[in-house]
Amino acid sequence: MAQGRFAGQERFTGVGLGLRRPHLEAVAARADHGVPFWETCPENVIGDGGRPHRDACAILDRDPVLTHGLAISLGGFDPWDEDYLGDLGRFLVRTGTPWHSEHLCFTAVDGSWLHELLPMPFTREAARHAAARARDLQARLPVPLLLENITYYAELGAAEMDEADFIAEVLEGADVGWLLDVNNVYVNALNFGFDPKAWLSRMPLDRVAQLHIAGHKRFGTLTVDTHGADVIDPVIELMQWTLARLGRPVPVLLERDNHIPDLEDLLAERSRLQAAYDEVLAVPVGGGRG
Amino acid sequence: MAETLALQRALAALVLDPEGAAFEEDPVGFARGQGLPEAHAEAFGRFPGGLAAYRELARLSLVDPIETMFPVTKALLEREGAWEGCIDAFLQTRCVGSRHYRDIAPAFLGWLAETEWGMATWPFLLELAHAELLEVLVARFPDGILPEGLQETPHPGDRLVLDPATQVVAYRHAVHRTSETDPVPEARPTHLLAYRDAEGRAQLMDLTPAAAALLVEAQGRSIREAAQALGLADLPLPLLEELRIRGAIAGFMPA
Ligand SMILES: [Fe+2]
Repeated sequence: MAQGRFAGQERFTGVGLGLRRPHLEAVAARADHGVPFWETCPENVIGDGGRPHRDACAILDRDPVLTHGLAISLGGFDPWDEDYLGDLGRFLVRTGTPWHSEHLCFTAVDGSWLHELLPMPFTREAARHAAARARDLQARLPVPLLLENITYYAELGAAEMDEADFIAEVLEGADVGWLLDVNNVYVNALNFGFDPKAWLSRMPLDRVAQLHIAGHKRFGTLTVDTHGADVIDPVIELMQWTLARLGRPVPVLLERDNHIPDLEDLLAERSRLQAAYDEVLAVPVGGGRG
Repeated sequence: MAETLALQRALAALVLDPEGAAFEEDPVGFARGQGLPEAHAEAFGRFPGGLAAYRELARLSLVDPIETMFPVTKALLEREGAWEGCIDAFLQTRCVGSRHYRDIAPAFLGWLAETEWGMATWPFLLELAHAELLEVLVARFPDGILPEGLQETPHPGDRLVLDPATQVVAYRHAVHRTSETDPVPEARPTHLLAYRDAEGRAQLMDLTPAAAALLVEAQGRSIREAAQALGLADLPLPLLEELRIRGAIAGFMPA
């Protein structure tokens, strides 16, 4: 179902980078960065102003861009902010993104934003609720919606199913695409002691339209999805395994949100991942994608 | 719906409320205290470490922009052993009501203004925090649409139009002269002009009381009338032109 669902998706392949504030000026000044696409967070651009904002807009108007929301609180209960959804819709159209992703989680409760990706209960009621919210959001967006699997550090309440079944039930119930974060699968596998490949094998991979990859860090007994370190080899290997399994050149996005290195170092890290990507799915330039 | 929402409220309470600090001592008791059904409450006892991590992670997310934006306020209150109490009180009131991460620091300032937290002890606290955030707000103020017909050179009959990002502020303390090592400001009336320069960087400028008053007054009436009303002997046209060149004034509107 992922094939043909997303108009304009053929422009997106290879390994892209998250567009981050410290790099805006440098990226705006050079079009030869070699990054096939950027991912940007609408919440950080909409309503902002000043010099970095102008740089961000110049890049978004020049380069291919995917959009990735941080705080819609998809699984929450607060009503949508209609004004914001209007702004978001216009922003998505302006960027030309083929889809928009949000996290399968909640980030706000009773009008209070926690600015953290908080886990949904793995219950039938929560799955129905999240699927209904996703369908409702999808109906208000001008592009297809993807949901992303998050890391979680605890089950919230008494689970009626496991994480894999919960995600699959929401994706199927909402009939939306999947932004598959392989680092999140890896981190959850470490924290909860399961095999990430067996986990992925159970999932509706036909819904995957994009991958995320990132670094993580161990704190005591808990591994946390910090986005603050280089990607480790087992996660790269899991990305390659997933790509091979998908058999399609879905775009991969390298997330880096903390300890953000110089642009040159980040570009080098991207090239390392691009090489790993090409090893599995070399896409001939200007052809082979039909 | 009811149970999912109740679980979300319980996690929010664990993150933000004072009771959350004692969560690990009795996770199930905490969950029962949140009114959760027994099966869900018991589940809180199976993942105490992971749930406690959410308290730490989410509080870090909320506190990080505050510590970054208010280093002098933080230095002052840390010195007085009051920073953690201040943050706890702020988080507990749940007044981060925006999806935008950049709005967390302004929410903290708004909370200080509304509650006057700490003002009995540190009467300059709100001004200090305001001055710390001022340059950030000016630097990222959304670009506005300017009226048409603005002139570059001021004449006595013109009104002045500030750049939309520009702010004229008055403090009762010299809060802009503080630092992390010297966070207590001198009590002295202070007038500041905060504006965005051509590179988009925020700049601060000390103003005389008369200049500050003129910048405010001459937006609603002509420069000549404003100066007369303020009892100014001379029209500071060169200053106004200089401020236009620096970017603080957008231009001058002929009558
Ligand atoms: Fe991700």
